[in-house]
Amino acid sequence: MRVVTVPSSLDDRTLDALAQAIGEWPPVEGMLLDARATTWASPYGLTALLTLGQAMAEVKVPPPRFAVPESDEVKSYWARCGFFHAAAECFDLVGRISKKPSDAPSDVLLPVTPVRAAEDVHHVVGRIQERAQRILSTELNLEPKATMGFGMALSEACQNIVEHAGTGGWVAVQTYNWRKRLGRKVVVIAVSDAGIGFRRSLEPTEAKKVGERWGDAAALELAILQSVSRFREPGRAQGFAGIRRYLGRWQGKLSVRSGTARLAVVPSWDDDAALAEHLPYFPGSQVQITIPAQEADAR
Amino acid sequence: MMQRIDLAPLLRETVATPYSDMVTRSTGAALRDRIEQTINGASHRTTQLDFTAVGLLDFSCADEVVAKLLLRVAGDDEHYVVLSGVTEGQLDAIDHVLERHGLSVAALAEGEGAPRVLGVTTPDALAAFQSVQRLGAGDAGRLADSLGWTIERAADALQSLALRRLIQAAGGTYRPLPLSA
Repeated sequence: MRVVTVPSSLDDRTLDALAQAIGEWPPVEGMLLDARATTWASPYGLTALLTLGQAMAEVKVPPPRFAVPESDEVKSYWARCGFFHAAAECFDLVGRISKKPSDAPSDVLLPVTPVRAAEDVHHVVGRIQERAQRILSTELNLEPKATMGFGMALSEACQNIVEHAGTGGWVAVQTYNWRKRLGRKVVVIAVSDAGIGFRRSLEPTEAKKVGERWGDAAALELAILQSVSRFREPGRAQGFAGIRRYLGRWQGKLSVRSGTARLAVVPSWDDDAALAEHLPYFPGSQVQITIPAQEADAR
Repeated sequence: MMQRIDLAPLLRETVATPYSDMVTRSTGAALRDRIEQTINGASHRTTQLDFTAVGLLDFSCADEVVAKLLLRVAGDDEHYVVLSGVTEGQLDAIDHVLERHGLSVAALAEGEGAPRVLGVTTPDALAAFQSVQRLGAGDAGRLADSLGWTIERAADALQSLALRRLIQAAGGTYRPLPLSA
């Protein structure tokens, strides 16, 4: 069994290190994901871990094992985020975790929640709406119109799984205080699925047109920047176009990783690369939407 | 005659969830089927889709319910669609999807007394639309006087609105679409 160490801090930036450690895909042997020394994970990191477990189950390798963090505080937090409840479906969990049900932490707007069908999107949006509106308006100074747009962006990101992934995925929403990085609070939506990814979704209709450059990066550019969908009917691919429009208005950031590439629509407050290619492969697709608190004079 | 369709109860009948949000493409497609059945079962020339008590409207659902419905009725002789009870957030989603299809619709926003145009429009068409709402039925001459335009410019703007089914045209006169809050 191969042992893969989960980074001590797992988020959209450090997922590449985890993907590198996983190596060849699909893995040829069983895997133990060792998160004992992990002290923090963003919603992006948690949903990506679940995606990895689900993807391994779907490629019919032995069920992966997952060594839970040693820190009681981290374990408790992850449990309250709904991670272990979901992880029990994908991993053979190694280590003690509390089975007692408890409330989600106050900064968690939506604990880790599965998305498999359109009904799940209704559930996610309906469940989060009231709580999100209150927190987004009081803590992030977002006006009511922006909180409605937040729900739209969440819905579209989740629908991407239902419409295109060909399998289920996970969503989680959380607020943070990004003191060092931004000096403001942010709300983060993370959606990850173990599906076919953007390249395979668009390959039948777009690969020949693109030619030699065809790959994960080209597929992401088409889907996110040019609103190209595998469905031919007009009006498709509204989701990412709508998300970009919303984020443009509220200085938000969109980051999408699929296969070996990551594309980001980067606002002025961030220094991420717009496109990263030839990354170590990670299964499925991972979407992260970040909306910063609005400064009083920007409203 | 105008037919009013309340979307919130229709949504509850169509989708078995306790939520009042119009989200997902499949929900929108199912809802549009029900709307089309209702339209086909009546002989009204104008259908008013009322969004009162609808929560969130996402882009995919707006595309199915509003944009695709407009495309379907475009093939019918003189069938008009207007919207009412639309919240600020819903206006944004509808405006976005209509722009992508090159469509437009008259919509009465929640709490407003006069309709606005969502989707594709031009400054002249918008000014003409607002004047027709204010002045009521009239011809190009009346609009030209009101806006200080040439009669040709007014006639072009009215013709554009009529082709987009944002106003009714008959025998050289133009009137606002019937719309109630």
